[in-house]
Amino acid sequence: MSYPAALQELIDEFAEIDDKMEILEYVYDLADEVVDFPVENWNEKTRVLGCQSEAHLEVGVSDEIVELRSGADAKIVQGMMGIITIAINGRKAQDVLQLKPDFAQEMGILNSLSPSRSNGFRNIFDKVMAEIRMKQ
Amino acid sequence: MSLKDDFPILSREVNGHPLVYLDNAATTQKPQIVIDAMTQYYSNSNANVHRAVHTLAGEATEGYEDCRRWIKNWFNAQRAVLTSGTTEAINLVAHGWGRANLQSGDVIVLTEMEHHSDIVPWQILAEERGIEIRYVPVLDDFTLDMEAYSESLHKAKLVCVVHTSNVLGVRNSVDEMITLAHQAGAKILIDAAQAVPHERIDFEHLNADFMAFSAHKMCGPTGIGALLVKNDAFEQMQPFMGGGDMIETVSTSGSTYQTNEHKFEAGTPRIAEAIGWSAAFEWMSKIDLPAHHERLLEIAKWTAEQLREIGCTVYGRHQSGDAAVVSFLHPTIHSEDFARFLDAKGFAVRTGHHCAQPLLNRLGITGTIRASFYLYNSQQEAEDLIKAVRYIVERFA
Repeated sequence: MSYPAALQELIDEFAEIDDKMEILEYVYDLADEVVDFPVENWNEKTRVLGCQSEAHLEVGVSDEIVELRSGADAKIVQGMMGIITIAINGRKAQDVLQLKPDFAQEMGILNSLSPSRSNGFRNIFDKVMAEIRMKQ
Repeated sequence: MSLKDDFPILSREVNGHPLVYLDNAATTQKPQIVIDAMTQYYSNSNANVHRAVHTLAGEATEGYEDCRRWIKNWFNAQRAVLTSGTTEAINLVAHGWGRANLQSGDVIVLTEMEHHSDIVPWQILAEERGIEIRYVPVLDDFTLDMEAYSESLHKAKLVCVVHTSNVLGVRNSVDEMITLAHQAGAKILIDAAQAVPHERIDFEHLNADFMAFSAHKMCGPTGIGALLVKNDAFEQMQPFMGGGDMIETVSTSGSTYQTNEHKFEAGTPRIAEAIGWSAAFEWMSKIDLPAHHERLLEIAKWTAEQLREIGCTVYGRHQSGDAAVVSFLHPTIHSEDFARFLDAKGFAVRTGHHCAQPLLNRLGITGTIRASFYLYNSQQEAEDLIKAVRYIVERFA
């Protein structure tokens, strides 16, 4: 499928990296891309279940435009949130809902796409999508 | 030829680096002899057990029952029920013995060190029956509070205790705990999942009433384990699951059950897995287990010292008898990040709560990074691990 320009650019950049350590270092740096979601706002409703780390998010949909605010205590997990932020923020909810999580595998940041307790990205992605559907 | 050469998976690469497998407390790798035995069964002898008179059924039955013979010989036990693993074995005690012998007001003693599989079945039963559960605390030196244990035994009917902690590697004073439990009139179940890979336990000598463990933590396949039961406790057990193979007769007015272990093995059992486990026993019978245990404990001790030098907190004591498990945390790098970075360099370690949340709550943490060593691991691999840890700390701390 075709991706929004910012996400496609990111996928292309990741495609040029072979070394897994470098991929993780890049994800680590993308932790700064999240829209801040302060720890004092974290609660059971904002928690991403199934993550080993504390990961929280909140999705706003205003005039059909999506804004993800998120944070995690593990930087790589927050980096994954940063990637999703780049992929969806400022876009129309109906367009965002077309997005499939496969792009994370194309970027080489997943061992598996199946939902599981160790699959932080998939759990974050699924929660984001569920919240958008609810608020649309 | 090194022992490692028996394990085909250990020659593969992960993320461009030679695999260093240090998640042995979760599951161990399988030697070729185990893989071959299971393949041979499916290629040559696949049939259901215990019923048909044809040749294949006979071979399958022999293969399956041979595993029970291995278990009984290896652990010097009279009764060995084959289960899907430690979890099912403990659930079998909860449902098969607990339901028949525990009532409202009875007491079960657990410890803060238990794996969830030795907590949740008892919580379910306690809620159903109105049973009180007492937890023996863990002290700051990572051992159980034996004074509190003695006090907790008042009116206890059952004690369930982990032999060796999957988080700390600490080997508990199970001999003393068994003696005290019996003096108090309680039966005792030992969760030996982390013990059997390192120690050849004599069940008769141990004198526990029940002992649960899994094949996959001792080079055998996943999906199979066993419950050893003393004869008197065995007679007090009622079937947990009903179905084929566990009955003598079935009519519309009722059923009668087998009197041996089959009574607790309803349905088609794990035949290929049993055959694979026999092969694992055969492979392990050629290994000097005590010598390897000593060697691995030295590696774990060295690793723990190095990690402390780097600034990590290590949870565990690595004393004689303990398992070669090193649980640690870095003060600023999250354990999940740490494990992903290690994976990128070819190291398989575990992170998270290790299914022991009450213990981690007691330690005031939510998870650890755990490196657990086994027969095929070497000092060189520990040194490579420490080198990788130093790199990660220098880059990300």
